[in-house]
Amino acid sequence: MSRRPDQPVRVSAGFCLLAAWFGAVNGWSLLATVLTAAAIHELGHCAALRLLGARVTGIRVGVFGAVLETDSRALSYGGELLAVLAGPGANLLCALTLTALGGVRQAVPAGAHLALCAFNLLPVRPLDGGRALYLLAAWAAGPSAAERAARWIGNAAALALAAGLCYLMWRTGGSLWLLPPAMGLLYTATAAGKRTFL
Amino acid sequence: MTSRQAGRRIGNIAAERSRARGKRGGVRQAARRRSEPPRPKEQRQLIQLVACGAMFVLLVAAKLLLPTHIERFGEKLSGAMGQNMDVQAVFSAVGQAFAGEKDVGGAVEEVYQAVFHPGEAGEALETSAPADPPPLQETGALDTLRQYRAVPLEDQQAEAAEGSADAPAEQGQVSSLAYVLYSDQNLPENVSLEQALLDFDYCTPVSGTLTSSFGYREHPVEGEERFHYGVDLAADAGTAIACFADGTVTAVGESSSYGKYCIVTHAGGYSTLYAHCSRITASSGTVVTEGQKIAEVGETGMATGPHLHFELHRDGTYLNPIYYVTAA
Repeated sequence: MSRRPDQPVRVSAGFCLLAAWFGAVNGWSLLATVLTAAAIHELGHCAALRLLGARVTGIRVGVFGAVLETDSRALSYGGELLAVLAGPGANLLCALTLTALGGVRQAVPAGAHLALCAFNLLPVRPLDGGRALYLLAAWAAGPSAAERAARWIGNAAALALAAGLCYLMWRTGGSLWLLPPAMGLLYTATAAGKRTFL
Repeated sequence: MTSRQAGRRIGNIAAERSRARGKRGGVRQAARRRSEPPRPKEQRQLIQLVACGAMFVLLVAAKLLLPTHIERFGEKLSGAMGQNMDVQAVFSAVGQAFAGEKDVGGAVEEVYQAVFHPGEAGEALETSAPADPPPLQETGALDTLRQYRAVPLEDQQAEAAEGSADAPAEQGQVSSLAYVLYSDQNLPENVSLEQALLDFDYCTPVSGTLTSSFGYREHPVEGEERFHYGVDLAADAGTAIACFADGTVTAVGESSSYGKYCIVTHAGGYSTLYAHCSRITASSGTVVTEGQKIAEVGETGMATGPHLHFELHRDGTYLNPIYYVTAA
């Protein structure tokens, strides 16, 4: 797989397929809602990074989500924490604004923002919640302790969530829709664990 | 959507380390490559290949050796895959709970419903949804209702055309004295309102609430006035139905109005009919005793909820069973 870092925006074919499928099944307006929420999430990150003086060099959009490429070496723990939390924060702000302005009429987009915010705050790396946890721990107790803490908490949370989802699927005897997130959580937990051994 | 910024501390450290390792170990690695086992990447590819091959062989073997099992599994799988999830309803529930419109418990319930049983809890979920989904669901529900209404009508006509003795004769002649005392409407043929004395022991087939009694009533599905030839005892689906008295099962069948039903013939020309059952446990020709389980309560056929439709006949005449059953 050749990576071309000179391209600022890269969107994978898998993501296009996923988006097209989602739109076809759930309606294009809902797809637009979700994509808008995701875009605002990334814009939140971008704005925070700009504010802190870091450079955003590109964005990769794949099946598992969007990844910003930045040059954040100059950032302090606090700064990076702020940048990490800016994404969910932007979603939360949007949900609050939508609810304040539109009330129940805007329940669907507000719900999409909230769901995205809550999902990203799961304490599993590479999600924002997991990274925030690591940064907080690193700030308080140093990087190696933080690494251990983040890995344990992340793996435990991912395993518990995956087990919970599987249990729900088994009990209700239905919807396989929880299988991809369960698999994704397990995968990220193991992948994050492996990466940190390097 | 996950969001990661590159240039994380760990990422940087790792990258630098591996770069350094690359420089140092370049020569050594080249020398090692010939003698040592395949590198992790090749090894992984090999394992993947073997795993895929094994899965393929296993699936083919299973398909050849256990075709029925595989077919059943395929059906189950496609059933599970066919279930959709109502993403919009999930978002809507979350948003409404956030706006304080709903309490958290209600929202959780709705999310659960939307994920596992989409489309069943319709209206409540879709209140704030834009444009398309609600009309779709509404028409779906209306269609089923229309079908539901259409089928029994045809069925009724078919039954009447068959000319069976029990076909309701709505315009029946002015006949019995009893009718004058009870109603201003014509009593159908083959109906008697007298309370016969049964010379055998009997019991109530299902202890349930009496939801509809013998006589004229507004038809729950078709709306017009019809004669109801039995009593309805509402009970949970699956409740055991006990045989009214000793006798022989003379008919087990299924019709679109009665659903699954069975008829038991007793002494003295009496017989009883049990309709809308979820299943019949006795088979035709079996000798049964009073109180013996013969079927289970259901809502098959033309029914609006699980209940037992119980009829009592004497030589082809319909009697009012209410004299012989005790409703809970």
